[in-house]
Amino acid sequence: MTPMIDVVFLLLIYFMVATDFVVTEEIYRLDLPQRLGSGAPDDPFELERDPVRIGVHTTGPEPEDYALDLTGPWPQPTTFEELLAFLQRNLIRDEGSGLFPRDHPILVAPDPDTGWEHAVEAFSTAVRAGYVNVQFVPTS
Amino acid sequence: MTANLTPMIDMTFLLIVFFVLVSQITDRQRVRMDLPRPRDPATMRQRDEQRTVINVVPAEDGAVAAIRVGGDDFPADPDGFASLRQELERQYRENPAVRMNLRADRRIRYRSIEPVMRSVTEAAQAAGVLPRVNLVVERKD
Repeated sequence: MTPMIDVVFLLLIYFMVATDFVVTEEIYRLDLPQRLGSGAPDDPFELERDPVRIGVHTTGPEPEDYALDLTGPWPQPTTFEELLAFLQRNLIRDEGSGLFPRDHPILVAPDPDTGWEHAVEAFSTAVRAGYVNVQFVPTS
Repeated sequence: MTANLTPMIDMTFLLIVFFVLVSQITDRQRVRMDLPRPRDPATMRQRDEQRTVINVVPAEDGAVAAIRVGGDDFPADPDGFASLRQELERQYRENPAVRMNLRADRRIRYRSIEPVMRSVTEAAQAAGVLPRVNLVVERKD
């Protein structure tokens, strides 16, 4: 009987160790536009709002190898921290300071060659800054 | 005079069966890959809701080996995306509130992710529901 118990305990320990219960995965909610590429507003009397378009480019194999650009008359960020600071500074809070309301459209525009890591980081930066209308735009 | 071992063996076998089943269930839905790890993410925990996991399985240098949904592999070519779209549309029709969890390796290029998102959008359109997607990332603690 003893050998069987030994083997059974070994199996038990193996499966306990091999099963990782700690889920470190979390999610971002992304509601894709119903039609990719068309941004027709629901309210026809709504003023047209120029979206903030964040270009993300991967320039090398390392996580730190990336470049950013903003379309428009904005200061160009070089890091995700600068982008975060720019977006936070221009978010309209209670006192009427800032340029963009919380639901201002933010478009994340990766290159075809941009790594998923950097695309998600740009998306994450906009969400962290407090914006709720963040979308990926299709590469043309 | 030895102790009666039968109850202990019963319990131990039960535990083994439990862990075997659990590890198989987690493996089927969660393909092993390096998820993106954004700094200080403003993510949320997965709520208890209906979801389908779309795994974009990585190959060498940023390419895609296959797209795995449930137990099925779809190749990353136009035919594969067509059948992926059909499968997702079937799932949307079955349960309009289902959310698609997009799991992709962090080294995959955006050009390979975009057709997957497009398939989700087109499938939702065909089924007449809103395309709801969750981007799955890893929290670094």
